[in-house]
Amino acid sequence: MMLLRAIQNAFARLAQVWLQIWSQIWFAPSATAPLELARIGLGAAVLSHYALATPHLTAFWGDAGWMPRQLLEKEYDSPLVQSLLFYVTAPWQLVAFHCVFLICCLALMLGWRTSWVKWLVLIGQISYDHRNPMFFYGVDKILAGLLLILCFAPIGRALSLDRVRAVRAAKRVRLDATVAVFSSEWAGACTRLMQIQMVVLFFYSGISKMAGDDWRYGDAVWAVFTTDEHYSEFILGVFAHHYWLVNLATYGTVLIEVAYCFLIWQRGTRPYLLGAALFLHAQFAFLMGLFYFSFVMMTGHMSFVRPEWLARLGAWWRQRIGDLEMIYDGRCGFCVRSMAWFLAFDGLAQIRVRDFRINPSPVVSDAQMEKALYLVLPDGRALPGFEAYRYVVLRVPGLWWQIPFFYVPVFSRLVGRPLYNWVAANRSRLSSMIIMRPKPQQ
Amino acid sequence: MVSEKLRERLAYVAMSAIVAWHTLAMVIAPAPDSDVTLLARLALQPYLTFFRLDNQWDFFAPTVGEGSRLRYDIQDKSGKTHAFLPADELRWYHPNFLWFRSWYYRIIDDPDNYAAAAAAVLCRKHAALGPLAITFYEIQEEKFTREDYLSGKQRMDQGFFSVAMLRGMRCPDP
Repeated sequence: MMLLRAIQNAFARLAQVWLQIWSQIWFAPSATAPLELARIGLGAAVLSHYALATPHLTAFWGDAGWMPRQLLEKEYDSPLVQSLLFYVTAPWQLVAFHCVFLICCLALMLGWRTSWVKWLVLIGQISYDHRNPMFFYGVDKILAGLLLILCFAPIGRALSLDRVRAVRAAKRVRLDATVAVFSSEWAGACTRLMQIQMVVLFFYSGISKMAGDDWRYGDAVWAVFTTDEHYSEFILGVFAHHYWLVNLATYGTVLIEVAYCFLIWQRGTRPYLLGAALFLHAQFAFLMGLFYFSFVMMTGHMSFVRPEWLARLGAWWRQRIGDLEMIYDGRCGFCVRSMAWFLAFDGLAQIRVRDFRINPSPVVSDAQMEKALYLVLPDGRALPGFEAYRYVVLRVPGLWWQIPFFYVPVFSRLVGRPLYNWVAANRSRLSSMIIMRPKPQQ
Repeated sequence: MVSEKLRERLAYVAMSAIVAWHTLAMVIAPAPDSDVTLLARLALQPYLTFFRLDNQWDFFAPTVGEGSRLRYDIQDKSGKTHAFLPADELRWYHPNFLWFRSWYYRIIDDPDNYAAAAAAVLCRKHAALGPLAITFYEIQEEKFTREDYLSGKQRMDQGFFSVAMLRGMRCPDP
């Protein structure tokens, strides 16, 4: 009886240890930043790729195009191969489908309504692939795998418009409110899935190369550049006179692909392997013209970027730019709403705010503040209104998308300054036009 | 009423099942056939097929192989023949490069099924020539070594490719 209990206990302890290891591997809480980088990259890649296909829409996926419907029956023997485009018959339906898909890709890239838009992008991508299987190229295979993992993942919680909306909602209640960085066990699990996907891909790619004579004898890269698809007179000339480069590139490719699978997991070696993999794909992009493939692969590698690297990068940027203080009129509802919207893009929390009505600034007088919002720079200088915004958009990464509006030579200042001055002069009237007034500052 | 603790445990089990299932799918899909992988495929195949995950990841492997190009000749009403190498119109930096080449490869690989649809599209494209018939050819590249290059030979010199007729057909009526 005692022995039985001892065995039971031993098994229970063993199970406990296994459970701990399993949880450590899969469910360590993690921020979504690496997955968000992948989301942005994949969204941009799919958007640009399919947008460029727009002129050939009916040729590629239409019934009178390259893949007539009757040929599809010869391609597939499984009812599980499904595509929304199987049910599209009229050209206008195809155009509508394409437009909706492109909008969804844009939304995925920007992180707008990400929780359901990601599924629409996956469905669209699979639909295009299945409707015309002749396009199913290496990059589409990778996309299929990575998009599905993104669909599982709780993305849109950082570096996204969804995050901006959440922060804005908090800041409309209280301008100095902060929203904690999202982190969860499931985000950690999905990051791990994407990492495993990349490692499996590199592993099979590496070992399948080892089985071929071209790769074993170090000639594969020469063979690649002699094919019509990747032919380059210049590169062949260089390689022919320095054949050691061919050997180096051939063996280097296999070495990186195989080493990646084993050394990418270690803290010390990860940056080197990640750098090597990115370098490899940069070569594929620029020497072989495989831009789309390489970009998607690089996006997948982003799953190995540690959230703390990004945090360190953010801290470095904050330190480099220095402390920024925006002074605003807390009594002006329009100003508070605008500030909430503006600050929602400040993901690195670089800008401090001060309501001059309850906390007067030692740098800017109240009389000045009545006329415009002010930005106090780290060196003590104060910039008013339009110039304040202009200064900030260049230094806050979340606002970089506004740079084109603020930095068009001559035009931005010519239009921006009077526009800002008019808004500032009429801010009371604008505030009264806003039905939903902001909640009072606490 | 499900207790908080039980709900957490169920969520943990569900999450574990999903990651285990998907990881197995990622590993089994490119694995060579064996008793184990075939057994796993029995369960995984619907998932792999539905989500398009059944991929080999064997880029340029095990051998790079020689390339091939599509050529088509259009015969016009006067009996004159016009030859086209469509890949030459493509620019390597544009996605068209992949899409159109994929189409050309498909015509080369399976002319019985794809040549007719291609003929319809290409005869329409060259309608200004008054096309009567179209003939597809495959230009199969042969090995081109470093020694060939250093001896001054060009990739498309005689001896480094062969031409095979794939299929000829009348252009469909416009």
